[in-house]
Amino acid sequence: MRRLTLLTFASLTLAGLAAAQPHQHGMDGAMGGTHETLSATPAFAPDGTLWLAQTEADRVVVAKSTDLGKTFSPPVSVTPGPINVDWGPDSRPQIAVDRDGHLIVTYAVFQDKRFNGRVYYTRSTDGGLSFAPPRPITADSTSQRFQATAIDSDGRLFAAWLDKRNVGSAVAAGRSYSGAALAYAWSNDDGATFADTRIAIDNTCECCRLAVAFAGPGRPAVLFRNVFTGSVRDHALVTFKDPTTPGPMHRVSVDDWKIEACPHQGPSLAIAPDGSYHAAWFTDGTARQGLFYARADNADAPFSAPRALSSPDHQPARPYLLANGKALHLVWKEFDGDRTRIQWEVSHDGGRSWSTARTIADTADASDHPLLVADKDHIYLSWVTKNEGYRLIPLETSP
Amino acid sequence: MRAAILSAVLAGVIGVVGLATLGTAHARDPLPFERGSWSKLRMAHAEQPTVVHFWGLTCGPCLVELPNWGKLLAERKDLHLVLLAADPLPQQPEQLAATLDRAGLGSAESWAFTDRFYERLRYEIDPAWAGELPRTEMIARDGTVTVLRGVADLAKVRAWLDAQAASHPPAMR
Repeated sequence: MRRLTLLTFASLTLAGLAAAQPHQHGMDGAMGGTHETLSATPAFAPDGTLWLAQTEADRVVVAKSTDLGKTFSPPVSVTPGPINVDWGPDSRPQIAVDRDGHLIVTYAVFQDKRFNGRVYYTRSTDGGLSFAPPRPITADSTSQRFQATAIDSDGRLFAAWLDKRNVGSAVAAGRSYSGAALAYAWSNDDGATFADTRIAIDNTCECCRLAVAFAGPGRPAVLFRNVFTGSVRDHALVTFKDPTTPGPMHRVSVDDWKIEACPHQGPSLAIAPDGSYHAAWFTDGTARQGLFYARADNADAPFSAPRALSSPDHQPARPYLLANGKALHLVWKEFDGDRTRIQWEVSHDGGRSWSTARTIADTADASDHPLLVADKDHIYLSWVTKNEGYRLIPLETSP
Repeated sequence: MRAAILSAVLAGVIGVVGLATLGTAHARDPLPFERGSWSKLRMAHAEQPTVVHFWGLTCGPCLVELPNWGKLLAERKDLHLVLLAADPLPQQPEQLAATLDRAGLGSAESWAFTDRFYERLRYEIDPAWAGELPRTEMIARDGTVTVLRGVADLAKVRAWLDAQAASHPPAMR
Protein backbone atom coordinates (compact mmCIF):
# COMPACT_ATOMS: atom_id res chain seq x y z
CA MET A 1 0.00 0.00 0.00
CA ARG A 2 2.78 2.35 0.84
CA ARG A 3 4.42 1.50 -2.46
CA LEU A 4 1.23 2.35 -4.23
CA THR A 5 1.07 5.60 -2.35
CA LEU A 6 4.53 6.51 -3.52
CA LEU A 7 3.55 5.69 -7.05
CA THR A 8 0.43 7.70 -6.74
CA PHE A 9 2.24 10.73 -5.46
CA ALA A 10 5.36 10.77 -7.54
CA SER A 11 4.60 8.92 -10.70
CA LEU A 12 1.01 8.11 -11.42
CA THR A 13 -0.18 11.69 -11.72
CA LEU A 14 2.68 12.56 -14.01
CA ALA A 15 2.37 9.38 -16.00
CA GLY A 16 -1.35 9.90 -16.35
CA LEU A 17 -0.85 13.37 -17.70
CA ALA A 18 1.90 12.13 -19.96
CA ALA A 19 -0.39 9.49 -21.41
CA ALA A 20 -2.90 12.17 -22.22
CA GLN A 21 -0.28 14.07 -24.22
CA PRO A 22 0.09 15.36 -26.78
CA HIS A 23 -3.40 15.94 -28.08
CA GLN A 24 -5.26 16.68 -24.89
CA HIS A 25 -7.51 19.33 -26.30
CA GLY A 26 -9.91 20.75 -23.80
CA MET A 27 -8.56 18.80 -20.85
CA ASP A 28 -6.84 21.74 -19.28
CA GLY A 29 -7.67 24.33 -16.70
CA ALA A 30 -9.13 27.69 -17.52
CA MET A 31 -5.81 29.34 -18.18
CA GLY A 32 -4.81 27.27 -21.14
CA GLY A 33 -1.69 25.47 -19.90
CA THR A 34 -1.61 21.72 -19.63
CA HIS A 35 -0.57 22.11 -16.00
CA GLU A 36 1.77 19.18 -16.13
CA THR A 37 3.89 20.93 -13.59
CA LEU A 38 6.48 18.25 -12.88
CA SER A 39 7.63 20.08 -9.81
CA ALA A 40 8.20 19.21 -6.18
CA THR A 41 9.77 21.48 -3.57
CA PRO A 42 11.53 19.77 -0.65
CA ALA A 43 12.23 20.74 2.95
CA PHE A 44 13.55 18.70 5.87
CA ALA A 45 11.96 19.00 9.30
CA PRO A 46 14.20 19.07 12.40
CA ASP A 47 13.33 15.39 13.02
CA GLY A 48 14.65 14.33 9.60
CA THR A 49 11.26 13.99 7.94
CA LEU A 50 11.35 15.00 4.28
CA TRP A 51 8.41 17.16 3.18
CA LEU A 52 7.45 17.83 -0.42
CA ALA A 53 5.09 20.47 -1.73
CA GLN A 54 3.84 19.75 -5.22
CA THR A 55 1.39 21.28 -7.65
CA GLU A 56 -1.08 18.96 -9.24
CA ALA A 57 -3.56 19.92 -11.95
CA ASP A 58 -5.58 22.34 -9.84
CA ARG A 59 -4.28 22.01 -6.30
CA VAL A 60 -1.20 22.07 -4.14
CA VAL A 61 -0.44 19.00 -2.07
CA VAL A 62 2.04 18.09 0.64
CA ALA A 63 3.39 14.67 1.49
CA LYS A 64 6.07 13.42 3.83
CA SER A 65 8.69 10.71 3.75
CA THR A 66 10.45 9.24 6.76
CA ASP A 67 12.73 7.02 4.66
CA LEU A 68 14.51 9.63 2.52
CA GLY A 69 12.07 9.68 -0.34
CA LYS A 70 11.58 5.95 -0.83
CA THR A 71 7.95 6.06 0.25
CA PHE A 72 5.54 8.91 0.91
CA SER A 73 2.47 9.46 3.03
CA PRO A 74 -0.81 10.02 1.15
CA PRO A 75 -0.76 13.60 -0.16
CA VAL A 76 -2.74 16.18 1.79
CA SER A 77 -4.23 19.05 -0.18
CA VAL A 78 -3.42 22.50 1.18
CA THR A 79 -5.94 24.12 -1.17
CA PRO A 80 -9.57 23.56 -0.20
CA GLY A 81 -10.93 23.95 -3.74
CA PRO A 82 -9.60 23.97 -7.30
CA ILE A 83 -7.09 26.69 -8.11
CA ASN A 84 -5.55 28.15 -11.27
CA VAL A 85 -1.98 27.13 -10.54
CA ASP A 86 0.70 29.56 -11.72
CA TRP A 87 2.48 27.19 -14.11
CA GLY A 88 5.26 29.60 -15.11
CA PRO A 89 8.46 27.60 -15.70
CA ASP A 90 10.16 29.30 -12.75
CA SER A 91 7.14 29.17 -10.45
CA ARG A 92 6.69 26.51 -7.76
CA PRO A 93 5.09 26.14 -4.37
CA GLN A 94 7.42 26.83 -1.47
CA ILE A 95 7.58 24.98 1.80
CA ALA A 96 9.42 25.86 5.01
CA VAL A 97 9.51 23.86 8.22
CA ASP A 98 10.20 25.76 11.42
CA ARG A 99 11.88 24.60 14.63
CA ASP A 100 8.59 23.33 16.02
CA GLY A 101 7.94 21.25 12.92
CA HIS A 102 5.19 23.58 11.68
CA LEU A 103 4.85 23.67 7.90
CA ILE A 104 4.43 26.93 6.03
CA VAL A 105 3.39 26.51 2.39
CA THR A 106 3.08 29.31 -0.14
CA TYR A 107 1.92 29.12 -3.73
CA ALA A 108 0.80 31.39 -6.55
CA VAL A 109 -2.29 31.26 -8.73
CA PHE A 110 -3.14 33.09 -11.93
CA GLN A 111 -5.95 35.60 -11.46
CA ASP A 112 -6.55 36.26 -15.15
CA LYS A 113 -5.27 35.53 -18.65
CA ARG A 114 -2.64 38.27 -18.46
CA PHE A 115 -0.48 36.35 -15.98
CA ASN A 116 -1.39 38.46 -12.98
CA GLY A 117 -0.82 36.26 -9.99
CA ARG A 118 -1.81 36.09 -6.35
CA VAL A 119 0.37 34.52 -3.69
CA TYR A 120 -1.29 32.59 -0.86
CA TYR A 121 0.11 31.13 2.32
CA THR A 122 -1.10 28.51 4.72
CA ARG A 123 0.27 26.69 7.74
CA SER A 124 -0.03 23.33 9.41
CA THR A 125 0.58 23.02 13.13
CA ASP A 126 -0.44 19.37 13.36
CA GLY A 127 2.32 17.71 11.39
CA GLY A 128 0.76 18.17 7.98
CA LEU A 129 -2.58 16.54 8.82
CA SER A 130 -4.48 19.74 8.13
CA PHE A 131 -3.80 23.23 6.85
CA ALA A 132 -5.30 26.59 7.74
CA PRO A 133 -7.48 28.18 5.04
CA PRO A 134 -5.01 29.82 2.60
CA ARG A 135 -4.82 33.62 2.78
CA PRO A 136 -3.31 36.15 0.38
CA ILE A 137 0.19 37.11 1.47
CA THR A 138 -0.58 40.78 0.90
CA ALA A 139 -3.70 42.94 0.78
CA ASP A 140 -2.91 44.48 -2.60
CA SER A 141 -4.50 42.41 -5.34
CA THR A 142 -2.64 43.71 -8.41
CA SER A 143 -0.25 40.82 -8.95
CA GLN A 144 2.25 38.75 -7.00
CA ARG A 145 4.33 35.86 -8.32
CA PHE A 146 7.58 33.95 -7.73
CA GLN A 147 7.43 33.98 -3.94
CA ALA A 148 10.41 32.69 -2.02
CA THR A 149 10.26 31.90 1.68
CA ALA A 150 13.06 31.23 4.14
CA ILE A 151 13.53 31.04 7.90
CA ASP A 152 16.50 32.87 9.44
CA SER A 153 18.71 31.54 12.25
CA ASP A 154 16.46 33.23 14.84
CA GLY A 155 13.50 31.31 13.45
CA ARG A 156 11.84 34.28 11.75
CA LEU A 157 9.99 33.67 8.52
CA PHE A 158 10.79 35.92 5.56
CA ALA A 159 8.96 36.06 2.23
CA ALA A 160 9.93 37.91 -0.94
CA TRP A 161 8.08 38.03 -4.25
CA LEU A 162 7.64 40.01 -7.47
CA ASP A 163 4.79 42.48 -7.15
CA LYS A 164 3.11 44.69 -9.74
CA ARG A 165 1.30 47.14 -7.44
CA ASN A 166 3.43 50.07 -8.61
CA VAL A 167 2.68 49.52 -12.30
CA GLY A 168 -0.84 50.90 -12.03
CA SER A 169 0.11 54.06 -10.17
CA ALA A 170 2.95 54.76 -12.60
CA VAL A 171 0.71 54.35 -15.62
CA ALA A 172 -1.99 56.49 -14.00
CA ALA A 173 0.62 59.21 -13.55
CA GLY A 174 1.57 58.97 -17.21
CA ARG A 175 4.84 57.15 -16.61
CA SER A 176 5.88 53.82 -17.99
CA TYR A 177 6.97 51.09 -15.59
CA SER A 178 9.29 48.28 -16.59
CA GLY A 179 8.88 44.88 -14.99
CA ALA A 180 7.73 44.46 -11.40
CA ALA A 181 8.95 45.27 -7.89
CA LEU A 182 10.78 43.18 -5.32
CA ALA A 183 8.36 43.04 -2.39
CA TYR A 184 8.84 41.43 1.00
CA ALA A 185 7.15 40.75 4.30
CA TRP A 186 8.05 39.10 7.60
CA SER A 187 5.94 36.90 9.78
CA ASN A 188 6.18 37.76 13.46
CA ASP A 189 4.03 34.84 14.58
CA ASP A 190 5.69 31.81 12.99
CA GLY A 191 3.73 31.93 9.77
CA ALA A 192 0.25 32.42 11.24
CA THR A 193 0.15 35.84 9.52
CA PHE A 194 2.43 38.10 7.50
CA ALA A 195 3.09 41.69 8.54
CA ASP A 196 2.88 44.67 6.19
CA THR A 197 4.31 44.36 2.72
CA ARG A 198 7.19 46.65 1.75
CA ILE A 199 8.78 47.27 -1.60
CA ALA A 200 12.55 46.86 -1.61
CA ILE A 201 13.29 47.70 -5.24
CA ASP A 202 11.30 48.77 -8.28
CA ASN A 203 11.73 47.61 -11.88
CA THR A 204 12.91 44.06 -11.49
CA CYS A 205 12.34 41.48 -14.20
CA GLU A 206 8.83 40.08 -13.73
CA CYS A 207 9.10 36.44 -14.72
CA CYS A 208 12.13 34.86 -13.06
CA ARG A 209 12.43 33.12 -9.72
CA LEU A 210 14.14 34.89 -6.81
CA ALA A 211 17.02 33.49 -4.77
CA VAL A 212 17.11 34.15 -1.00
CA ALA A 213 19.85 33.48 1.55
CA PHE A 214 20.69 35.03 4.92
CA ALA A 215 23.72 37.19 5.74
CA GLY A 216 22.66 36.93 9.39
CA PRO A 217 19.48 36.89 11.48
CA GLY A 218 17.06 39.49 10.15
CA ARG A 219 19.36 40.12 7.21
CA PRO A 220 18.08 38.42 4.07
CA ALA A 221 19.93 38.75 0.79
CA VAL A 222 17.97 38.50 -2.44
CA LEU A 223 19.46 37.81 -5.86
CA PHE A 224 17.18 38.64 -8.77
CA ARG A 225 17.09 39.50 -12.44
CA ASN A 226 16.81 43.26 -12.63
CA VAL A 227 15.74 45.52 -15.48
CA PHE A 228 18.61 47.93 -16.07
CA THR A 229 18.34 50.92 -18.42
CA GLY A 230 17.44 49.88 -21.94
CA SER A 231 15.65 46.67 -20.87
CA VAL A 232 18.95 44.99 -20.01
CA ARG A 233 18.01 42.05 -17.78
CA ASP A 234 21.13 41.29 -15.75
CA HIS A 235 21.39 40.13 -12.16
CA ALA A 236 21.48 42.27 -9.05
CA LEU A 237 21.84 41.59 -5.35
CA VAL A 238 20.44 43.36 -2.33
CA THR A 239 21.40 42.55 1.26
CA PHE A 240 19.24 43.91 4.05
CA LYS A 241 20.95 46.02 6.74
CA ASP A 242 18.16 45.07 9.12
CA PRO A 243 14.76 43.41 8.68
CA THR A 244 13.16 46.46 7.05
CA THR A 245 16.13 48.26 5.47
CA PRO A 246 17.25 46.93 2.12
CA GLY A 247 20.87 47.84 1.45
CA PRO A 248 22.20 49.19 -1.85
CA MET A 249 21.69 47.21 -5.02
CA HIS A 250 24.84 45.63 -6.48
CA ARG A 251 25.06 44.39 -10.05
CA VAL A 252 26.51 40.89 -10.03
CA SER A 253 27.69 40.88 -13.61
CA VAL A 254 27.46 43.03 -16.73
CA ASP A 255 26.19 40.43 -19.17
CA ASP A 256 24.31 43.04 -21.17
CA TRP A 257 21.32 40.87 -21.94
CA LYS A 258 18.95 43.27 -23.62
CA ILE A 259 15.66 41.49 -24.11
CA GLU A 260 12.10 42.78 -24.31
CA ALA A 261 10.78 39.48 -23.11
CA CYS A 262 10.66 37.07 -20.22
CA PRO A 263 13.71 34.84 -19.88
CA HIS A 264 11.91 32.56 -17.36
CA GLN A 265 15.32 31.80 -15.84
CA GLY A 266 16.04 32.96 -12.31
CA PRO A 267 19.31 32.75 -10.33
CA SER A 268 20.56 30.88 -7.27
CA LEU A 269 22.37 32.32 -4.24
CA ALA A 270 24.26 30.86 -1.28
CA ILE A 271 26.06 32.59 1.57
CA ALA A 272 28.78 30.48 3.22
CA PRO A 273 29.55 30.57 6.97
CA ASP A 274 32.61 32.75 6.19
CA GLY A 275 30.23 35.39 4.79
CA SER A 276 31.20 34.84 1.17
CA TYR A 277 28.48 35.17 -1.48
CA HIS A 278 27.96 32.69 -4.29
CA ALA A 279 25.80 33.32 -7.32
CA ALA A 280 24.86 31.23 -10.35
CA TRP A 281 22.71 32.43 -13.21
CA PHE A 282 21.75 32.09 -16.84
CA THR A 283 22.26 34.81 -19.42
CA ASP A 284 22.16 35.26 -23.16
CA GLY A 285 23.80 38.67 -23.17
CA THR A 286 26.17 40.20 -25.64
CA ALA A 287 29.01 39.88 -23.10
CA ARG A 288 28.48 36.18 -22.42
CA GLN A 289 25.97 33.41 -23.05
CA GLY A 290 25.15 30.36 -20.99
CA LEU A 291 25.32 29.47 -17.32
CA PHE A 292 27.75 31.22 -14.96
CA TYR A 293 29.08 31.23 -11.42
CA ALA A 294 30.75 34.04 -9.48
CA ARG A 295 31.73 34.66 -5.85
CA ALA A 296 32.25 37.70 -3.65
CA ASP A 297 34.07 37.91 -0.30
CA ASN A 298 31.14 39.68 1.35
CA ALA A 299 27.95 41.65 0.68
CA ASP A 300 29.77 44.75 -0.52
CA ALA A 301 32.75 43.17 -2.29
CA PRO A 302 32.70 42.96 -6.06
CA PHE A 303 31.90 39.62 -7.63
CA SER A 304 34.64 37.65 -9.33
CA ALA A 305 34.76 37.29 -13.10
CA PRO A 306 31.94 34.93 -14.12
CA ARG A 307 33.02 31.34 -14.74
CA ALA A 308 31.14 29.44 -17.43
CA LEU A 309 29.47 26.21 -16.32
CA SER A 310 29.38 23.91 -19.32
CA SER A 311 29.00 25.09 -22.90
CA PRO A 312 26.04 27.09 -24.27
CA ASP A 313 25.26 24.42 -26.85
CA HIS A 314 24.42 22.00 -24.02
CA GLN A 315 21.58 24.26 -22.87
CA PRO A 316 22.95 24.54 -19.31
CA ALA A 317 20.19 25.94 -17.08
CA ARG A 318 18.48 25.97 -13.66
CA PRO A 319 21.49 26.30 -11.35
CA TYR A 320 21.14 25.64 -7.62
CA LEU A 321 23.68 26.47 -4.91
CA LEU A 322 23.71 25.35 -1.29
CA ALA A 323 26.24 26.05 1.46
CA ASN A 324 26.44 23.47 4.22
CA GLY A 325 29.22 23.80 6.74
CA LYS A 326 32.44 24.23 4.83
CA ALA A 327 31.10 22.55 1.71
CA LEU A 328 29.52 24.49 -1.10
CA HIS A 329 27.48 22.51 -3.59
CA LEU A 330 26.39 23.54 -7.08
CA VAL A 331 24.14 21.66 -9.48
CA TRP A 332 22.53 22.49 -12.82
CA LYS A 333 20.89 20.66 -15.67
CA GLU A 334 22.08 20.37 -19.24
CA PHE A 335 21.16 18.42 -22.36
CA ASP A 336 23.53 16.45 -24.57
CA GLY A 337 21.22 15.84 -27.52
CA ASP A 338 19.81 12.70 -25.97
CA ARG A 339 19.62 12.97 -22.19
CA THR A 340 19.18 15.69 -19.63
CA ARG A 341 21.95 15.45 -17.04
CA ILE A 342 22.32 16.92 -13.58
CA GLN A 343 25.88 18.14 -13.15
CA TRP A 344 27.38 18.58 -9.69
CA GLU A 345 30.43 20.46 -8.43
CA VAL A 346 31.61 20.94 -4.84
CA SER A 347 34.01 23.47 -3.29
CA HIS A 348 35.77 23.29 0.08
CA ASP A 349 37.52 26.64 -0.06
CA GLY A 350 34.65 29.09 -0.21
CA GLY A 351 34.16 28.80 -3.94
CA ARG A 352 37.73 29.63 -4.97
CA SER A 353 38.25 26.19 -6.48
CA TRP A 354 35.74 23.55 -7.51
CA SER A 355 35.71 19.87 -8.28
CA THR A 356 35.31 18.76 -11.89
CA ALA A 357 31.65 18.59 -12.84
CA ARG A 358 30.17 15.13 -12.47
CA THR A 359 26.83 13.74 -13.66
CA ILE A 360 24.81 12.56 -10.67
CA ALA A 361 21.47 11.84 -12.34
CA ASP A 362 20.00 11.88 -15.82
CA THR A 363 16.77 11.27 -17.70
CA ALA A 364 15.50 10.90 -21.26
CA ASP A 365 12.36 12.98 -20.99
CA ALA A 366 10.94 16.10 -19.35
CA SER A 367 12.16 17.08 -15.90
CA ASP A 368 11.88 19.63 -13.10
CA HIS A 369 14.64 21.99 -12.04
CA PRO A 370 17.25 20.27 -9.87
CA LEU A 371 17.07 21.46 -6.25
CA LEU A 372 19.39 20.90 -3.30
CA VAL A 373 18.12 20.30 0.21
CA ALA A 374 20.00 19.81 3.47
CA ASP A 375 19.24 17.66 6.50
CA LYS A 376 21.82 18.70 9.05
CA ASP A 377 25.16 17.53 7.59
CA HIS A 378 23.66 15.70 4.65
CA ILE A 379 22.96 17.28 1.28
CA TYR A 380 20.62 15.80 -1.30
CA LEU A 381 19.64 16.43 -4.87
CA SER A 382 15.84 16.58 -5.10
CA TRP A 383 14.58 16.03 -8.64
CA VAL A 384 11.33 15.07 -10.37
CA THR A 385 11.47 13.55 -13.82
CA LYS A 386 8.63 12.36 -16.02
CA ASN A 387 10.12 8.91 -16.50
CA GLU A 388 11.55 8.18 -13.04
CA GLY A 389 9.24 10.18 -10.77
CA TYR A 390 10.72 11.67 -7.61
CA ARG A 391 14.35 11.06 -6.65
CA LEU A 392 16.31 12.12 -3.57
CA ILE A 393 19.99 11.51 -4.24
CA PRO A 394 22.60 11.93 -1.47
CA LEU A 395 25.67 13.99 -2.36
CA GLU A 396 29.01 13.07 -0.92
CA THR A 397 31.03 15.81 0.70
CA SER A 398 33.79 15.14 -1.82
CA PRO A 399 33.44 13.99 -5.43
CA MET B 1 -9.37 -1.96 -14.92
CA ARG B 2 -7.36 -1.50 -18.10
CA ALA B 3 -10.55 -1.65 -20.12
CA ALA B 4 -12.10 0.96 -17.89
CA ILE B 5 -9.17 3.27 -18.37
CA LEU B 6 -9.22 2.69 -22.11
CA SER B 7 -12.91 3.49 -22.29
CA ALA B 8 -12.36 6.60 -20.26
CA VAL B 9 -9.59 7.69 -22.61
CA LEU B 10 -11.72 6.90 -25.64
CA ALA B 11 -14.64 8.76 -24.17
CA GLY B 12 -12.32 11.70 -23.63
CA VAL B 13 -11.08 11.57 -27.20
CA ILE B 14 -14.59 11.33 -28.58
CA GLY B 15 -15.63 14.17 -26.33
CA VAL B 16 -12.77 16.30 -27.56
CA VAL B 17 -13.46 15.54 -31.21
CA GLY B 18 -17.12 16.31 -30.62
CA LEU B 19 -16.30 19.60 -28.99
CA ALA B 20 -13.91 20.54 -31.75
CA THR B 21 -16.57 19.83 -34.34
CA LEU B 22 -19.21 21.74 -32.46
CA GLY B 23 -16.88 24.63 -31.67
CA THR B 24 -17.17 27.93 -33.48
CA ALA B 25 -15.30 28.10 -36.76
CA HIS B 26 -11.76 29.31 -36.43
CA ALA B 27 -8.35 28.72 -37.92
CA ARG B 28 -6.94 25.23 -37.99
CA ASP B 29 -5.24 23.96 -34.87
CA PRO B 30 -1.45 24.07 -35.07
CA LEU B 31 0.36 20.93 -36.14
CA PRO B 32 1.91 19.11 -33.17
CA PHE B 33 5.63 19.81 -33.03
CA GLU B 34 7.33 16.74 -31.60
CA ARG B 35 10.70 15.02 -31.72
CA GLY B 36 11.77 14.86 -35.36
CA SER B 37 9.31 17.55 -36.50
CA TRP B 38 12.04 20.10 -37.21
CA SER B 39 13.72 17.98 -39.86
CA LYS B 40 10.31 17.25 -41.41
CA LEU B 41 9.52 20.95 -41.46
CA ARG B 42 12.89 21.76 -43.03
CA MET B 43 12.48 18.99 -45.58
CA ALA B 44 9.02 20.20 -46.56
CA HIS B 45 10.45 23.65 -47.27
CA ALA B 46 13.70 22.55 -48.85
CA GLU B 47 14.92 24.92 -51.56
CA GLN B 48 12.19 27.40 -50.69
CA PRO B 49 13.20 30.55 -48.81
CA THR B 50 11.26 30.23 -45.56
CA VAL B 51 10.81 32.39 -42.49
CA VAL B 52 10.10 30.49 -39.27
CA HIS B 53 8.79 32.73 -36.53
CA PHE B 54 8.91 31.30 -33.00
CA TRP B 55 6.33 32.82 -30.70
CA GLY B 56 4.34 31.95 -27.61
CA LEU B 57 0.97 32.60 -26.07
CA THR B 58 2.81 33.17 -22.77
CA CYS B 59 5.14 35.74 -24.32
CA GLY B 60 3.85 39.31 -24.08
CA PRO B 61 6.14 40.88 -26.70
CA CYS B 62 5.21 38.07 -29.10
CA LEU B 63 1.53 38.94 -28.90
CA VAL B 64 2.30 42.60 -29.56
CA GLU B 65 4.45 41.67 -32.55
CA LEU B 66 2.17 39.10 -34.22
CA PRO B 67 -0.15 41.53 -36.07
CA ASN B 68 2.93 43.04 -37.76
CA TRP B 69 3.71 39.62 -39.15
CA GLY B 70 0.09 39.40 -40.31
CA LYS B 71 0.51 42.68 -42.22
CA LEU B 72 3.81 41.56 -43.72
CA LEU B 73 2.23 38.30 -44.85
CA ALA B 74 -0.54 40.23 -46.61
CA GLU B 75 1.99 42.61 -48.16
CA ARG B 76 4.59 40.12 -49.39
CA LYS B 77 3.33 37.30 -51.56
CA ASP B 78 6.88 35.93 -51.60
CA LEU B 79 6.88 35.39 -47.82
CA HIS B 80 6.67 31.71 -46.93
CA LEU B 81 5.96 32.03 -43.24
CA VAL B 82 5.84 29.23 -40.71
CA LEU B 83 4.69 29.97 -37.16
CA LEU B 84 5.97 27.81 -34.35
CA ALA B 85 4.54 28.26 -30.86
CA ALA B 86 7.28 27.32 -28.41
CA ASP B 87 5.70 28.12 -25.05
CA PRO B 88 7.57 26.73 -22.06
CA LEU B 89 4.44 24.69 -21.35
CA PRO B 90 2.20 23.49 -24.19
CA GLN B 91 -0.85 25.70 -24.66
CA GLN B 92 -4.35 24.92 -25.86
CA PRO B 93 -4.33 24.52 -29.67
CA GLU B 94 -7.65 26.36 -30.06
CA GLN B 95 -6.26 29.36 -28.22
CA LEU B 96 -3.11 29.39 -30.33
CA ALA B 97 -5.15 29.17 -33.52
CA ALA B 98 -7.53 31.92 -32.44
CA THR B 99 -4.62 34.21 -31.56
CA LEU B 100 -3.01 33.69 -34.97
CA ASP B 101 -6.35 34.24 -36.64
CA ARG B 102 -6.80 37.59 -34.91
CA ALA B 103 -3.32 38.64 -36.04
CA GLY B 104 -4.16 37.90 -39.67
CA LEU B 105 -2.08 34.74 -39.63
CA GLY B 106 -4.89 32.18 -39.74
CA SER B 107 -3.84 30.95 -43.19
CA ALA B 108 -0.14 30.52 -42.41
CA GLU B 109 1.45 27.16 -41.67
CA SER B 110 1.42 26.74 -37.91
CA TRP B 111 3.03 24.35 -35.44
CA ALA B 112 3.11 24.17 -31.66
CA PHE B 113 5.33 22.41 -29.13
CA THR B 114 3.33 19.50 -27.71
CA ASP B 115 6.17 17.56 -26.09
CA ARG B 116 7.22 18.62 -22.60
CA PHE B 117 10.79 17.51 -23.31
CA TYR B 118 11.44 20.92 -24.78
CA GLU B 119 15.19 20.66 -24.26
CA ARG B 120 15.14 18.06 -27.00
CA LEU B 121 12.86 20.05 -29.31
CA ARG B 122 15.04 23.13 -28.96
CA TYR B 123 18.20 21.12 -29.42
CA GLU B 124 16.95 19.82 -32.75
CA ILE B 125 16.31 23.38 -33.89
CA ASP B 126 19.47 24.96 -32.44
CA PRO B 127 21.48 23.45 -29.56
CA ALA B 128 22.35 26.88 -28.24
CA TRP B 129 18.77 28.19 -28.16
CA ALA B 130 17.75 28.45 -24.51
CA GLY B 131 14.11 29.06 -25.32
CA GLU B 132 13.78 32.85 -25.38
CA LEU B 133 10.92 34.21 -27.41
CA PRO B 134 10.26 35.76 -29.83
CA ARG B 135 12.80 34.47 -32.29
CA THR B 136 12.89 34.30 -36.07
CA GLU B 137 14.90 32.05 -38.37
CA MET B 138 15.17 33.03 -42.00
CA ILE B 139 16.18 29.98 -44.01
CA ALA B 140 17.58 30.68 -47.48
CA ARG B 141 17.21 28.43 -50.48
CA ASP B 142 20.63 26.91 -49.82
CA GLY B 143 19.77 26.24 -46.17
CA THR B 144 21.70 29.18 -44.72
CA VAL B 145 19.96 30.28 -41.52
CA THR B 146 19.82 33.89 -40.34
CA VAL B 147 18.55 34.26 -36.77
CA LEU B 148 16.76 37.37 -35.51
CA ARG B 149 16.56 37.29 -31.72
CA GLY B 150 13.79 39.10 -29.92
CA VAL B 151 11.17 41.19 -31.71
CA ALA B 152 12.08 41.11 -35.39
CA ASP B 153 13.04 44.21 -37.30
CA LEU B 154 10.73 43.66 -40.28
CA ALA B 155 12.89 45.90 -42.46
CA LYS B 156 15.52 43.17 -42.16
CA VAL B 157 12.97 40.56 -43.15
CA ARG B 158 11.93 42.60 -46.22
CA ALA B 159 15.57 43.10 -47.19
CA TRP B 160 16.17 39.37 -46.80
CA LEU B 161 13.13 38.58 -48.97
CA ASP B 162 14.38 41.04 -51.61
CA ALA B 163 17.77 39.35 -51.56
CA GLN B 164 16.16 35.94 -51.98
CA ALA B 165 14.12 37.18 -54.96
CA ALA B 166 17.19 38.85 -56.50
CA SER B 167 19.22 35.67 -56.24
CA HIS B 168 16.44 33.73 -57.89
CA PRO B 169 14.32 35.81 -60.32
CA PRO B 170 10.56 35.14 -60.17
CA ALA B 171 10.56 33.77 -63.74
CA MET B 172 12.71 30.91 -62.57
CA ARG B 173 10.40 29.86 -59.76
